[in-house]
Amino acid sequence: MSAAADVAPVDEATPGDSGALARRARWSDAGLFAVLLALALLLALALASALLAVADASPATVFDAIIDGSLGSAPALATTLNHTSLILVVAAGTCIAFRAGMVNIGQEGQLSIGGLTATAVALGLPFAGPWAVVIILLAGAAGGAIWAVAPAFLRFRRGVSEVVTTLLLNFVAFQAVSYAVNQPRLLQEDVRADSVTAPSPQSNRLPDDDMLPALSSGTGYRLHVGIVIAVVLALAVGFLIRRTTLGFRLRVFGFNPRAARRLDVKPGVMGGGALIASAAFAGLAGAVLLTGVTMRLQGGFSSGVYGSFSNNFGWEGLVVALVATYDPVYAIPVGFLFGALRAGSGALTATGISPTIAAVVQALVLIAVTVPALLIVQRRRRREVQALRRERI
Amino acid sequence: MLEIAGVTKRFGRILACDDVTLDVAAGEIRGLLGQNGAGKSTLMRVVGGVLRPERGTVKVDAEELPVGDPIKANAAGVGIVHQHFSLVEAHTVWENVTLGDEGALDRQAAIARVDELGERYGLAVDPRAVIHDLSPGERQRVEILKCLRREPKVIILDEPTSVLTRQEGQRLFGVLTALVRDTGRAVVLISHRLEEIMATTDRVTVLRDGRVVATHRTGDTTAEELAAEMLGRRLSLVDDRAAVGVSADELADLDVGRTASSVGREPVLELDGVTVTAADGHRLLDSLSLALRPGEIVGLAGVEGNGQQALVDLLSNVLTLDAGEVRVLGRRVAIGRRGALRDLAVIPADRQRSGVVLQMTVAENLVLNQLGSVSRHGVLRRQRIAVRARGLVEEYRISTAGVDAPVWTLSGGNQQRVVLARELSRGTPVLVVAQPTQGLDVGAMESVWTRLREAADRGVAVLVISSDVDEILDLSDRVAVIFGGRILGEMERSAVDTDRLGLLMGGVAS
Repeated sequence: MSAAADVAPVDEATPGDSGALARRARWSDAGLFAVLLALALLLALALASALLAVADASPATVFDAIIDGSLGSAPALATTLNHTSLILVVAAGTCIAFRAGMVNIGQEGQLSIGGLTATAVALGLPFAGPWAVVIILLAGAAGGAIWAVAPAFLRFRRGVSEVVTTLLLNFVAFQAVSYAVNQPRLLQEDVRADSVTAPSPQSNRLPDDDMLPALSSGTGYRLHVGIVIAVVLALAVGFLIRRTTLGFRLRVFGFNPRAARRLDVKPGVMGGGALIASAAFAGLAGAVLLTGVTMRLQGGFSSGVYGSFSNNFGWEGLVVALVATYDPVYAIPVGFLFGALRAGSGALTATGISPTIAAVVQALVLIAVTVPALLIVQRRRRREVQALRRERI
Repeated sequence: MLEIAGVTKRFGRILACDDVTLDVAAGEIRGLLGQNGAGKSTLMRVVGGVLRPERGTVKVDAEELPVGDPIKANAAGVGIVHQHFSLVEAHTVWENVTLGDEGALDRQAAIARVDELGERYGLAVDPRAVIHDLSPGERQRVEILKCLRREPKVIILDEPTSVLTRQEGQRLFGVLTALVRDTGRAVVLISHRLEEIMATTDRVTVLRDGRVVATHRTGDTTAEELAAEMLGRRLSLVDDRAAVGVSADELADLDVGRTASSVGREPVLELDGVTVTAADGHRLLDSLSLALRPGEIVGLAGVEGNGQQALVDLLSNVLTLDAGEVRVLGRRVAIGRRGALRDLAVIPADRQRSGVVLQMTVAENLVLNQLGSVSRHGVLRRQRIAVRARGLVEEYRISTAGVDAPVWTLSGGNQQRVVLARELSRGTPVLVVAQPTQGLDVGAMESVWTRLREAADRGVAVLVISSDVDEILDLSDRVAVIFGGRILGEMERSAVDTDRLGLLMGGVAS
């Protein structure tokens, strides 16, 4: 202990250092990330090449196909951006929940239910056109939101973990969609009198005027405005979280509920609200998928494989939010990467490579990108914990 | 039976046990008395093998224990009943009692054993009951059974009655006394309750600042003597400052007398018969009454765990009242309603957990509860936040890499300053500070104290809640003592008599 403490506090020996350390560490975070990413990509490429060699395919052709299929042409880019829009809407919503400390992993189900309610509303509306599209999109968001009401209620009234409830409700949602498109009195398509085939597990097609407007279209492709909606929403959520008092309180609640209580933040309102809002985003993505791409609700068993309407867009949005460390603005480039990979591996299957191998190649690249990011996050956490320990001795 | 010789244990700069020597005979109940941080628990954790001392030995039955090995210590006959329960809440009593056993579980045998032990020692608990459903008293019994099952030669009880009702406490001591007399075991009872020590122990040892200051036959001493020894006539703060080289002139500046005239008449914060009950029915605050006038510093002394935390939580608007009322500036406030206590600035003791958000930046933490003044239409004005933060960082000498650095990168002392700067700069008429200098070094302590005095000089009513008596005596105009959730005594600073203060803190209301 020293007397100079009041002027230049003694305990500064540690904090002064740790401040400098933190700056240096943040630097090396970026450097380390670059190195890890390069290594991981190399490793992924090596593994993928080995796998492809075993499967008698030329790695060069395969990687060309991935690049071409995602970025190489106008149709490829349109596919990439259409995929990106869905992933990004889900991811932006997921950021809201995770920032509030709520682990929503029910995006697949929320997206499916959003598609279901959007379809029901679209087919029930007496008119079509731009206003109908707006109503359909809102109906999707409302459907997703409803799907998170029970988890929010159970979490804050009964203490049931939202991880479990949101996850399990995914399976309920798949069944609900499947049921709806298999019941003629619900949403199953009408059968024409002269039809020789049985009706499929899908809804009627939406009126053409209910299609999401195109930004650009050409032979074999159609880029819808979803990407604009997604980017605007991601930026808006980013603004909300970083720059508003609501976002501030949300972050305080997510980081430290005890401190939030002292700010009069009501856990049920803030946490439940964040969970429901994130689900609304997933539901909106369902409506975008419906009006932008499929134009009808599909689901249930087809050719023995269980296909859900959400088609993994929910999971990919969740992963994007995680990789982007819950920052919706970072989610824009990450979402684009995931959209491109999805489009690329779709094109890969078209080259005759088995879908299984294509999926493995896609997974390898994703792991190569995500693992370094997660390692960095973990490293940062560990430093935080160490800093805490230092203080507590 | 238990021989502790020359045990020294330090934590960083703090000497928790300084060459402690202590012998406890078979058949004896030894009291171990001392303030928070006097080294009682550290010493017992050394005996239990949980901590490894720098020097010294522990012998049980003349056999030296290997240091830092809780399992061997246990096997050698040391049993500890911890202050905080270490029970698995979702499991049954018998499962908890047999926890740590190896090999196949014999449910019937375990249940029979619990029943038998319970009967033998008068500690009956239903072995099949789930811990979750038990009262604190019953849980305490399970802890003791857990300890007794291994037939320990030395039993250490760390503040066993802190969660018990009076009756439960008395019954426990009845059992304990019989147990020792009949079986020739040695018991060490750690407590800050003088009454308990006087009534139960054969001999009593007082620890202060990690050293043994006295050992008495309990029959030959008095509560007054023990209280005085526990508090000690410690180094006055002047000596402390001199020891670290602050000159006498600077001291004169610091100790500018605050005149009584600066203290207003009308109380700004009044607590009237305030009662708060925990979920398990335990009274956290028991018709507590206290008033604060503008410009005065009231020190609330007391051993930790006597309701201080509940009081801070209540004043932070996170608890609900069961009875009584709180008045701020003469108006009754509805505790629990949003913004009900906005005229109070509260600095909780657990600053890292509820005073700051470690992952957020220094600037964000500095405006944490004042968002209204740094935003417009719900949008934060970053320029304003940065300017305010830079001003406070400079004014309060917060050492940080920048206002955008996360708070976790700051030292404990600087995190403390962040909270202090934020709360003091709010300009509220009432300031409540719990353990204002816990974990700070002398220099940082001094600057915190100066800030509090300045606030009082500006007319703020300051409530300082501290378990450090010296701090209370140094800061306060008036001293109140909290014990068992109520104010046991109140006196002007000038009328404080340390003996009486010690007795009050030990729960003896003269």
